[in-house]
Amino acid sequence: MRAARWLLTLAVVGAAAWLFPPFHVVPLKTAAAADLAAAFDPARFAATFWTNRLLPALPQTVKAETLLPAIQADPAAARTRYARGTGLGGSYFYFLSGTGRVAAVSEDEVLLVVTSGTNAEVSLPAGLIFGNALRDGTGLLNASDYPNSQDFNGLAEALNHLAETQAVPPLRACARPGAKIFFAGCAEVADESTDLKPLKVIPVAIAEK
Amino acid sequence: MKANWFKLALAVLLAAAAVCFTPAASAQTAPRKKIAVIVSTLNNPWFVVLGETAKARAVELGYDATLFDSQNDTAKEAAHFENVLAGGYQAILFNPTDANGSIASVLKAKAAGIPVFCIDREINSTNAATAQMLSDSYSGCVKLGQYFVKTVGKEGEYAELLGLVGDNNTWNRSKGFHSVVDRYPGLKMVVQQSGEFDRAKGMEVMESILQSHPGIKAVFCGNDAMAMGAYQALVSANKADQVKIFGFDGADDAVKLIAEGKITATGMQFPKTMARQSAEFADAWLKGRRDFPQKVPVPVELVTKDNVDKYGDYGKK
Repeated sequence: MRAARWLLTLAVVGAAAWLFPPFHVVPLKTAAAADLAAAFDPARFAATFWTNRLLPALPQTVKAETLLPAIQADPAAARTRYARGTGLGGSYFYFLSGTGRVAAVSEDEVLLVVTSGTNAEVSLPAGLIFGNALRDGTGLLNASDYPNSQDFNGLAEALNHLAETQAVPPLRACARPGAKIFFAGCAEVADESTDLKPLKVIPVAIAEK
Repeated sequence: MKANWFKLALAVLLAAAAVCFTPAASAQTAPRKKIAVIVSTLNNPWFVVLGETAKARAVELGYDATLFDSQNDTAKEAAHFENVLAGGYQAILFNPTDANGSIASVLKAKAAGIPVFCIDREINSTNAATAQMLSDSYSGCVKLGQYFVKTVGKEGEYAELLGLVGDNNTWNRSKGFHSVVDRYPGLKMVVQQSGEFDRAKGMEVMESILQSHPGIKAVFCGNDAMAMGAYQALVSANKADQVKIFGFDGADDAVKLIAEGKITATGMQFPKTMARQSAEFADAWLKGRRDFPQKVPVPVELVTKDNVDKYGDYGKK
């Protein structure tokens, strides 16, 4: 009788463990592969974001022909109307596009005159690209969506890499004095005394007109 | 005569009633709400400023505030949380010791209905703290990296002193810096070692680096305390003029040394801005607000000899 009770208990416990296993044995290689798959891949995310969200958002940019004269007239009013800021502090961003004529070309940048009447200029970097203007300048990405800020920062670097490979080569190809160029991109203003004259636009799209 | 005595007695009674029932007297009897400020360490002046400013702002807003020092120890920090939760505090302003290790304490507070506002350092969770006010260390160090290349040049050996390896800020700073400097193959990092965000440790590590790598042109330090320690080591080795020092924080002593040309640059964080904002968020929460952004980035500004006169007292003048 006692043995039967033990057998019954064992059977119940065995059935419960089979139905609801308390742990799983997984090979180390499989676990590592699963961790890797779950890890955030900034390059892959940036590539998808670039194609599916950033380029389709270009029609929403403020026109340089409107923005630059507005900045020249009243930087504070232009900021209020066209810029976006992030968090606490003085830095802010413009997401803009426009057409201009090449005024000067150097190893690191191409200078465009956008509105000849006001001599408003923008500078387009034509070499290495740093910073987080592309990540923070559009309003399409939010730091609060990323539990680990290192992922969010990796995204800034990946977007800069895309600008270097997707936008800088066509810029260099058509950068000769007098050429007419369409550009779209983001500009960060951290210090108005240096960053507005000229506005430094990190390019997303470039086309010769 | 009788009437005068009556008037006098009535006046005394009215005066006593006025004293007893004024709002100030009522407020004195009501207990003030309590806010805890838990800081990773008070062994670094920058964090003292962070903690004291948060506490002072909470007091200004009408709370009793207490400052707790975790001494960079997650276990001590967890004990502080236990005491705070048992002690009837209504909100916590929190500078964590570890991005992962501090999450459990914050979740415990959340479960107890106590809001936690992280300051300067983040935790790797977006559903534990009520909000996190975070220095944008990565972007600050991108700027430092660009200035590093501009002043050191595109060739040469350099060293890096890392902060606490469990803190996200350590890696955000290092990665921001390397996102620039690593693009120049002529710049070679010959040693990367932790100085644990500590001045004495930074000096000790720098002394050792100078023995093994006497030819370095520069050292990038993850905070100003280590930069100050590195500077002391360089002075002792008579190499202060040969090695450029880059720090991060915007600590007052580092800013003064930049003005004197002894440290090359730092990244100015704004501890007072973050600390005040955290206390104001806690006050707003206690008054009913619930819609807080999870992460509030605080930009970092580059401080060099060219603009050092604009900075001081842990911020912009």
